Amino acid sequence: MRVILAEDSTLLREGLVRLLEEEGHEVLAAVGDGEALVGAVEAEEPDVVVVDVRMPPTHTDEGLRAALEIRRRRPHVKVLVLSQYVEKKYATELMSGNVDGVGYLLKDRVAQVSDFLDALERVGAGGAAFDPEVVRQLLARTSHADPLARLTGREREVLELMAQGLTNASIAQSLHVSQSAVEKHVNALFDKLSLSHTAGYSRRVLAVLRYLGS
Amino acid sequence: MRSVAEGLRLLGAVVLGAVTALLGLVLLPPALPLARRPAVREAARRLAVLEARRLRLDPAALGLGAARPDGQELRYLAARLPLGVLGGLTAALLGCGLAVAGTLVWHWGRGLPVDGMLPTAPLLAYAALGGTVLLFLDLSGLVGVHALERRLALRMLAPDPTEALRRRITELAESRAGVLAAVDAERRRIERDLHDGLQQRLVALSMLAGRARRGRPELLAQVHEQAQQALAELREVAWRAYPSALDALGLADALAGMAERAGIPVKVVCELSARPPAAVETVSYFVASEAVTNAAKHSGATAVTVEVREHGTMIAVNVHDDGMGGADPAGGGLSGLARRVAALDGGFTVTSPPGGPTVIRAELPCG
Repeated sequence: MRVILAEDSTLLREGLVRLLEEEGHEVLAAVGDGEALVGAVEAEEPDVVVVDVRMPPTHTDEGLRAALEIRRRRPHVKVLVLSQYVEKKYATELMSGNVDGVGYLLKDRVAQVSDFLDALERVGAGGAAFDPEVVRQLLARTSHADPLARLTGREREVLELMAQGLTNASIAQSLHVSQSAVEKHVNALFDKLSLSHTAGYSRRVLAVLRYLGS
Repeated sequence: MRSVAEGLRLLGAVVLGAVTALLGLVLLPPALPLARRPAVREAARRLAVLEARRLRLDPAALGLGAARPDGQELRYLAARLPLGVLGGLTAALLGCGLAVAGTLVWHWGRGLPVDGMLPTAPLLAYAALGGTVLLFLDLSGLVGVHALERRLALRMLAPDPTEALRRRITELAESRAGVLAAVDAERRRIERDLHDGLQQRLVALSMLAGRARRGRPELLAQVHEQAQQALAELREVAWRAYPSALDALGLADALAGMAERAGIPVKVVCELSARPPAAVETVSYFVASEAVTNAAKHSGATAVTVEVREHGTMIAVNVHDDGMGGADPAGGGLSGLARRVAALDGGFTVTSPPGGPTVIRAELPCG
């Protein structure tokens, strides 16, 4: 994939560039702030952008602003946002509008190299990748507590993995059950949450996350 | 010698008071109808400040820092006129007495008669005794007039105790809010130190370890090196949050440690006869360390001097650098320091003209 990186810590930026190159990705540019990122995206037309939320000059959310700007100007560019904290507001902002090819990971997740690379692949392929921590917090803070309470333990597990962007096959693998069992759980929990059955996986994820985040 | 100087100073103050009283007699009547005008009030305030200085009273403590809305200054200036004139008359009497004494000494010393009288023993005794009594009475009068003037000024201008307490409460509330703000700013800085420094390092380190495991074992040496750097950074962050040497070893050692880490040459002079209270030590340390950090980061200074000295019951911390100045006292770091110092009832000044040098000074009361 053709990737552009935006990360203000030189050390981490260099590490990410090396990692991505070793994994066979092409790093078109690696920049240190949001403005430079938007410029680089205009110039280079990447497949995926990996962006840190907190960057100069204000060290608050310029990375996220840049990501939203890129989504608006170049809807086909996929965006993977890295954040120091789980911010429900950031997650919901990312989920509004066109929703394919969006990811939101805790920065620490980069340290788990294979998880990070998997998430990047998923986002690059037009899917979604949400940090387990993000999903857990959204589940914990949701204002729709009642329908969630009706889910069985297993259905809840399936919901969490689904919200992270995993396919039925991957969910089956990580829970050590058959794919048809997963499909059964998915249908059951969609019914309980009154969500319509949709085909696309990321749309499915976002339906769930939006429901939880609203 | 000292009491003579003090006496002369008092005489000077009384004479000056007489002069200002005479001026007041001329100026006040035309000013009274215009008493409500701001310009007149301001002029009255300035004159009252001069009077306060003449009486060796602190103009600020008398509430003369700014024109008072009650117009009390003008009233005071009017009320002190009789006392000023009285002082003038007393001083004039002293002058007359000295002139008479001078004449007697001059003539009798040469054997000449005064008013047809030659110096006989009884006459000399009479003149000496009478002169001493009169001199004593007149000097007492001068001291009395001065004391009366001071009392009048205090009585008419000094804020009443309730007002003073109210002012103190406002001050305390402000400094308390300031301390809370300073604490929050400090926490924010520590959070940033942790996230923007240490966390990045650890994430990079784990990533490096991940790459090493994915078939690049030669990266292990780098992993080790980065782990060392992360530990060094952790030490730095912990030291910036609170230097533990301050508790264990005292201010001088903590400042020496700070100087070593500063990145520019820092000279530390710490002359204290005893350890100040812990709160004073902590604030002194942070004043010095923040000032040095600012100098190293923004001023382009090549040398900084930190001086900590005792002045009576006060501890004075002085930091000056040879940089290009222009430090903003309202900026995050410096305003935080001002709040910390205010919380201990200390004084804090920043002098940093464009082009430098920058001098930061804190004075902290001890006990």
